Amino acid sequence: MTTGEELRRYERQMIIEGFGREGQERLKQTRVVVAGAGGLGSVVSIYLTVAGVGKIRLIDHDRVELGNLNRQILYGNRDIGRRKVDSAKEKLESLNPEVKVEIVSEAILEDNAFELVDDCDLIVDAMDNFTTRYILNKVAINRDIPFFHGAVRGFEGRATTIIPGQTACLKCIYTRAPQPEPAPVVGVAPAVIGSIQATEVVKYIVGIGDLLTNRLLIYDGLSLEFMEMKLKRRPDCEECQHLTEGRE
Amino acid sequence: MSVRVRLHPCLRNFSDGRQEVEAVGQTIGECIDDLESKFPGIRQQLCDDGGKLLTKYDIHINGRSSYPEELAKPVKAGDELTILTFVAEG
Repeated sequence: MTTGEELRRYERQMIIEGFGREGQERLKQTRVVVAGAGGLGSVVSIYLTVAGVGKIRLIDHDRVELGNLNRQILYGNRDIGRRKVDSAKEKLESLNPEVKVEIVSEAILEDNAFELVDDCDLIVDAMDNFTTRYILNKVAINRDIPFFHGAVRGFEGRATTIIPGQTACLKCIYTRAPQPEPAPVVGVAPAVIGSIQATEVVKYIVGIGDLLTNRLLIYDGLSLEFMEMKLKRRPDCEECQHLTEGRE
Repeated sequence: MSVRVRLHPCLRNFSDGRQEVEAVGQTIGECIDDLESKFPGIRQQLCDDGGKLLTKYDIHINGRSSYPEELAKPVKAGDELTILTFVAEG
């Protein structure tokens, strides 16, 4: 039940057509995994927190470094050396104490991924590598929960919303992982893409608008262009081919 | 046969800034050969000295990845090729 204080906190979003108290209550009842507390994870978790998502489970095993601070806006100088999830929890709870922030300072691996997303309704991909993204994609398909993908490089970004059995999954889109390499990133790129991921999550939960499903959003900050590529499921996809075609 | 090719921004200095161009060929490789004839230098940007697509690029045919053996993949009139780079950071 939404309280009086919550009504005041969220009044400007509840007056959006199709949102209302019902949408706010749905947000409050939702448990979200944010995988990664870096550039994307900072933006996604901040906006889901202030929107009033009920529970955020933030997973990251790194500590804050000076070189993170150009883009990871959950942290400041005084956080250097601390576990990211500890600093993030403090920051998020100061933004909105109504939101329950669970933290997990572990690497996401094949053998713990299912447990890490237990009891959650959706996964936000805010990772920095495709090995872990593929693991999370598999978990989302197995658990039949949505997977909100985002990635950045330099001034560029990509985003798509994956609904298992209905849309192309991450393995349909990217059949091979790129070579790991130190990649350039300017903070405004995860700001744009993380905001788009959070937008998709809020829309999905509230049930309004059109989702970024079967569409890959391709953002280039240098030319300031948004391009879209329509996506299709891959019939021979090793991750999602077993899901019924009828759901597509 | 003619296909529509959507270029990643890093390739547009070859195409006078155009995001979309036309190419002719029966395979992706032949389409790249055709692009090279129109926009000299683009093949060297996309492929290594052995003529293989560089791993940083991903070419999609009508929204589906063409990996593996990308350059041998057949295309038909009206197809849409999208040439992208990988983006993996978070």
